[in-house]
Formats: sequence, C-alpha cells, structure tokens
Amino acid sequence: MAHIPDGLLSLPVLVGGGLLAAGGLALGLSRLDERDIPRTAILAAIFFVVSLVAVPIGPSSVHLLLAGLMGLVLGLAAIPAIFVGLLLQAVLFGFGGLTTLGVDVVDIAFPGVILGLAARPLLARLDGPVVVVLAGAVAALSVLATAGCVALALALSSPDYLPSLRIVALTYLPLAAVEAVITGFVVAYLKRVKPEVLAPLPREALG
Amino acid sequence: MTAPRPAPRPRRTLTALLAAGLLAASVAPAAAHRLKLFLTTETGDITGYAFFVGGGRPEGVEVVVADATGRIVHRGRTDDHGGFRWRPQTVADHTVSIDTGDGHRVSATVAADRLVGAAGIAPSTPPEPAATAAPSAAPAPPAEPEALARLVEARVDAALERRLRPLMEAYDLAESRLRFNDVMGGVGMIVGLAGAAMWASARRRDRKGDAA
Repeated sequence: MAHIPDGLLSLPVLVGGGLLAAGGLALGLSRLDERDIPRTAILAAIFFVVSLVAVPIGPSSVHLLLAGLMGLVLGLAAIPAIFVGLLLQAVLFGFGGLTTLGVDVVDIAFPGVILGLAARPLLARLDGPVVVVLAGAVAALSVLATAGCVALALALSSPDYLPSLRIVALTYLPLAAVEAVITGFVVAYLKRVKPEVLAPLPREALG
Repeated sequence: MTAPRPAPRPRRTLTALLAAGLLAASVAPAAAHRLKLFLTTETGDITGYAFFVGGGRPEGVEVVVADATGRIVHRGRTDDHGGFRWRPQTVADHTVSIDTGDGHRVSATVAADRLVGAAGIAPSTPPEPAATAAPSAAPAPPAEPEALARLVEARVDAALERRLRPLMEAYDLAESRLRFNDVMGGVGMIVGLAGAAMWASARRRDRKGDAA
C-alpha cells in the first residue's frame, strides 16, 4: 500500500520523491499560519492513528488515508501534517521506510492537497447533500490517485513490481468507497456546524 | 513598553534539540515492517507464513526461494492462510521472499545449520508428519551406532522444532504488535511539535511588534 518499505524503489525515484516532498513541505510550512497550527496538529494525529489500523483484504491489507479530508480542511498544510504522521509511523513502527519517506509523502499528500484545493472554492458555494457528494468524490479520487502514484513509483523502479490490476481493484476500490463515505459525512457536518474550518484563512488579517 | 528580551538562543536550542531527537530516533533501526514473515524448518522442509501487522495473511501471492548465491531455486504461491512449504534439495542458506505485488515485500533467511540434521537423514528415512509420529510406529533402531546417532538427532530436531514453533510464532507476533504506549507517544510528539511551532511563531510575532 502507500507505505512503501526500504529497498524496493530505485535511487532516481527515491531522490525525485524526496525533492518533491521537500518542496511541498517547504511550501506548506511557509504558508502555515499560527492559527492553522492546532487543526494541522489534530489532523496529523488523526492521520497517524487511523492509518495504523490495517484491515486485511485478500492478498493485501488496507488502512484509511484521509488525504482527501486533510486536503479539504488543511490545504497545503496537509503536506507537513502527513509528513509528520508518516515519519512517526516509520520511526516507531517501521511502517514504510525512512528512505522512501519522500515518495510516500508525495503519494499520499499531493493528490489530497491538489484535489482539496481545487474543490474548496466550489465547496464554499454549495449547500445540502451535494456537499457530501463533492467531498466524497475528492476523497475517492485522492485514494485512486494515491494508488496510481504508488503504482508509478513501483513501475519506474522495476517493471517486476508493477501492481496487478486485480490487486489494485481488490484493495483500493473498497478503500476509495469507504473514504468517500467518511469524508462526505465529516465535511457535510463541518460545513453545517463550523463552515469557516473549510475556508482558507483571510490573508489580509496577517498584517 | 520594551522589556529586555533574551537573545533568540532558546529557540535555536529547541530546534537543535528537536533535530537531534529526530536524528537519534531515525538512526535506531526500525524493528518491524508491515508485512512480516514467520519462517521455520520442519523435518527438513522450509515452512512458515506471511502476515500483516494488525491482522490478515496474504493469500495466493508469490513465494520465491533463493539460495545463498541469489539463484532462484523455487517459485510457489501462498495458501489460504498465507502459508507455504518447500523441501530444499541441499543443505544451504535459503532466502524466502514474498511479494504481494502492491509494494508489500518481505524476505527472511533460513540458515544452513537448521537443515543439517534432517537433510542428512532424509535419504534413509522418509520424513513423517510430526503429529502422527507415534513411538509404536517407529521402525526398529538400526544396529550401527552412527546411524542410530543420526536417527536420534533427527528425531530430537523434529521434536524441538514442534515444541519451539509456538514460542517462535508468539515472539514474532509480540515483536510486531502495535503498542498503545507507542501510539500515544506518537500523538504526544505531534502535540509537542504543534506547541513548539506555536511558541516559535508567537516569538516571531512579538519581535515584529517590538521592531514596529
């Protein structure tokens, strides 16, 4: 899955992933407002705990990623949040390697951030059940894009590692469906009780 | 009002401490991987199963056995319980690798000396399933002391393998268990990072206020 262990990817893929992740991390941190820090930390903690819980499915096992939700709520700050979560998982539990940390950050965070940022303006204008559908679509597409990125990273390293379509269909499609439902309802709830969480902070207030 | 401010040293110290802590943590080898492999020998067979930390066994995925030189000597698939069994032809180090095909991969090595006794006896007495090896079914002991010693060694090896297996399985499982303390430690680390970041940004804002 999205935690790729050490020793599987080739050096160019590792370096490329590391550079992209470092760029994203720098961008995310430079845009991180003081007021963003608590919710960034809360979602980082949720991501850290939730993606430890693995559910066995056939030949593999899956866990929630919540990248779509993080992209919608945090925007660019989702990159440092996911980086911290993945770093701690690698150090404490050996989930994913330290050399592959950059690739893992790119695989998990970038789709959620890009889709989340793209959907935010539309989400602000919508109301009612459409919100559930849009947020669910963001989550599902994030999961599928993560699957695509993992497959790409493996395929670029060695054609032997190209994941079979059967395994991708077996593991990522159910995950995309579950994440769509969870994200859809969480975002709809947030939009009803605390809509400002889903909107970017007003930048002029920074002074 | 401009109170005398300490030099920005504490922040730098904190950053250095954090960096040092992270570095120290990253140097310690990560003990577990998400896909794990339990490997043992039974009467000369290499057997075991793959399992995911947190539950689940990979079914029907490729098992590759390579010898010490890296030459692939066997390809097979795991059964419904992630298990496999294969009888090596030679007494040598064998490396078993399992790849689920989606970025989960694990490999482990069986040392040659774990195969010595059983493989030595293999040509003369065919291996029996350990559970059915009742004493009454045992053939009459051979007369020559050397053959007898070999037979005894093989039997003791088989009995030990049978008795030790649950222990080794429990150890592998315990080693890869997610500990609540570790999870809470990770959450605490995130809270600490958030606190440090807020402290740093508060200091930056204060300084900006002083400068204005």
